[in-house]
Amino acid sequence: MMETEVRDQMVQRLISLLGRAKVLTSRSDLVPYTKDTYRIRYDEDYKYFPDAVVFPETTADVKGIVEIAAELKVPIIPKGGGSNRTGMLVPVTGGIVVDTIRMNRIVEVSVPNLYVTVQPGITLKELEEGLAEHGLALNQEQGSFKVATVGGSISTSGFSRKHQKYGTIADRVMSLEVVLANGKVMRTGPKILYTSTGYRLQQLFVGAEGTLGIITEATLRVEPVPEAKDVILAFYYDFWSANEAALRTMSTCVTFTGGEAYEVEDATSLGAPQGRNGLFYLGFEGTKGEVHAQVEFVKKIVHETGGVLAKHDDAAKFMEKYTSQWCGARALTSFEDSLTTYVPVEHMREFYEKLWGEVMPKHGSAPLPGEKFSLDVGRYRMMAGRFYLPKGEGAWEKYQALLRDIAKLTTRLGGSISSCHGVGIEHKDNLDLEYSEVALDVMRDLKKALDPDNIMNPGKMLPDKK
Amino acid sequence: MDAELVQMAEVAEACSRCRCGCCKDQCPMYSELLEESISPKGRNALIRSVLKGAVEPDERAVRIAYSCLLCRRDEQSCIAGLRNSDATEAFRRYLIEKGARLLPEHAALAKSLDNYGNPWQESRAARKRWAKGLQDKKVVPGKTRTLFYVGCTFALDRTLDDGPKALASLMDKAGVDYGLLLEDEVCCGSTARRIGDIKLFEKLRRENEKRIRGTGVENIVTACAGCFKTLKQDYPDLSEDISIMHSTQFISELIANDKLHFPKREVKVTYHDPCHLGRHSDVYDAPRRVLLSVPGLELVEMKNSRQTARCCGGGAGVKTAYPEVSQKVAAKRIREAEETGAEVLITTCPFCVQTLRGAASAVGSKIKVEELSVFLDNLSHKREGGHR
Repeated sequence: MMETEVRDQMVQRLISLLGRAKVLTSRSDLVPYTKDTYRIRYDEDYKYFPDAVVFPETTADVKGIVEIAAELKVPIIPKGGGSNRTGMLVPVTGGIVVDTIRMNRIVEVSVPNLYVTVQPGITLKELEEGLAEHGLALNQEQGSFKVATVGGSISTSGFSRKHQKYGTIADRVMSLEVVLANGKVMRTGPKILYTSTGYRLQQLFVGAEGTLGIITEATLRVEPVPEAKDVILAFYYDFWSANEAALRTMSTCVTFTGGEAYEVEDATSLGAPQGRNGLFYLGFEGTKGEVHAQVEFVKKIVHETGGVLAKHDDAAKFMEKYTSQWCGARALTSFEDSLTTYVPVEHMREFYEKLWGEVMPKHGSAPLPGEKFSLDVGRYRMMAGRFYLPKGEGAWEKYQALLRDIAKLTTRLGGSISSCHGVGIEHKDNLDLEYSEVALDVMRDLKKALDPDNIMNPGKMLPDKK
Repeated sequence: MDAELVQMAEVAEACSRCRCGCCKDQCPMYSELLEESISPKGRNALIRSVLKGAVEPDERAVRIAYSCLLCRRDEQSCIAGLRNSDATEAFRRYLIEKGARLLPEHAALAKSLDNYGNPWQESRAARKRWAKGLQDKKVVPGKTRTLFYVGCTFALDRTLDDGPKALASLMDKAGVDYGLLLEDEVCCGSTARRIGDIKLFEKLRRENEKRIRGTGVENIVTACAGCFKTLKQDYPDLSEDISIMHSTQFISELIANDKLHFPKREVKVTYHDPCHLGRHSDVYDAPRRVLLSVPGLELVEMKNSRQTARCCGGGAGVKTAYPEVSQKVAAKRIREAEETGAEVLITTCPFCVQTLRGAASAVGSKIKVEELSVFLDNLSHKREGGHR
């Protein structure tokens, strides 16, 4: 906890810098900043309040805030849309939440060079709307599209369902402006996509969860809005048949934007014949001719693999609903969590069988109905699933043991614990399973070099050295 | 806790399980202020923390509670269908019942409602001011079947009283036998309810209901969308005994029954759905049917209409408590209306007309903001080249 004297001084200086209206200190205002969407330890609900929330609008504001924090050695928690799943926004040591949400301007659109420079607080949705006016698109479509900001998405290395054709945001970061822990403003390099000079500093901040600095500007590769778009949705008797068809599609050279194979409880509402609850969908974008050819090519595969194609309108509606399904979903269930593990193709069956057959029952957990199998189609092989949290006495400890066992299973199969939700608090203590002690030490050294006083989002991502 | 407070707690709890924040994307207040606490998610978090005793409600808590337009636009984004607006309205009531004071900006409204039966500090007698020449329309108990319930703002705001005049004129043209309460009409209580002063609301409701029931009418036609919602949804038994219609529904029926016709008018208009009529009461088609019955009229929808229509920014006490934000919200709606290329922005709620007119003037927009009945009535006395 911060000493009262330090806190008072900090608040006064923040007010002098930004004005009273941009510094929140009442607990009534602070309460939404006590957690993101992470399942905080049950008995620690409302334990972690920030000491203040501030609203910078410029890089100079951020620099000023960081200078105050650095001098007083108080923690800083950079925040975007606030939709993080793993607790990276929970102010476990108090401090200043730097809410970047008012840094929401599009600074520059370069049509010939196909890039956009933005402030970090613009949401992905706002950015796509702004780019559409120039005939361009970022194509970063993640579930939290309406809420997540560019800064947040970079800091979490967010997923995009258009990964196959356009990559994810990690692939699209060309250059960043970052305020470092000492208050210096760093431009990582020129606004270009490819260079062979120097370290790729911009990549250091992808998935860094605000532990190395605060992104104040991002230049991102964008693409022209395609002439044509289409989708194929195909139904199978079960998940594994759908996945088999998806794998066969992937083994060809056909191009698609991205897709998913999964199984639901009842797919009839999506237009499926009774009993065909396994499905896969693929999106296509490009010129009219190529999209037509791609769709016809995949339709043939669907027929050959015994699939049934959804009506075109049903498929289009299904695609449109993608981002809306994320909104409010967890309010409909009791306490649950989701996996975003990444497992190599040859082990996916083993992963799911062991996950639901051994690991979950061992800790008193089970999948949510219709949420057992969900696999991204393409290079990005996120193996998702939603599960109920353990209940009863020692529920928290059981939950932690469950996460550890999932992490063990995933890493033993050569995968990653979290493909797009980051590490935060949730996976921090399991990172040793995914990275060697040497690799973790390099990460710790980098952190120390850039943030010697550990003021940037302390207590997140990096496990303490044992 | 009564049912409303139980529901409030349930909404806060369900939101707390999720915390996705998608509500922010559609929330007009959050979009302007960009603070988590000024969002449905933030208010739900505050409600839960207050109920759990983690936060002692302070002055800011009261401000946050009153930072909502109760527009329900955010609820369209939530697949769980959380009634954030109802939770916030209940939270205002909860705070007041726990001893919080009304915002100073709202205290004057409440005092006027208590003393004069209207929020605008006008005498009770002033309520009949708009109805010059209509004194013979005073409701006759046991005889009048249809009561035209005017509402405080239409009756008392001199810039809006052409609304009830126009509706009365339309009803006359259609040969409707209607009656007015004139000076005996009392506020429906909408303002009191929305700002959480439930005792004041109940006082107004009882008085109003007694007078309405005393007339023995079978139908009520309200000119104001807020009165419509309140009489229909917040008076527990009234709509079981008496049919309550908004003017747009009533006019739509008159047109369908061949009682009203309008002359040809080649004009491009757009329609703004008032929150109380649209999302709160699910009345979207009637006003559009009415407009489309005008030969030659072209109705162009705004980018956000019907369920996703932007709020005008004038509701739920926000215009009084946050005037600058309210005007920014309204200006966005004006810009959307301008994008349609329409000459006239038509709506059916006095607060929407008032707020949108103010914003149109503030941003220098050329679009005319007209109340639907006024627009329709003027069609019959039309001079070439103008609407009013």
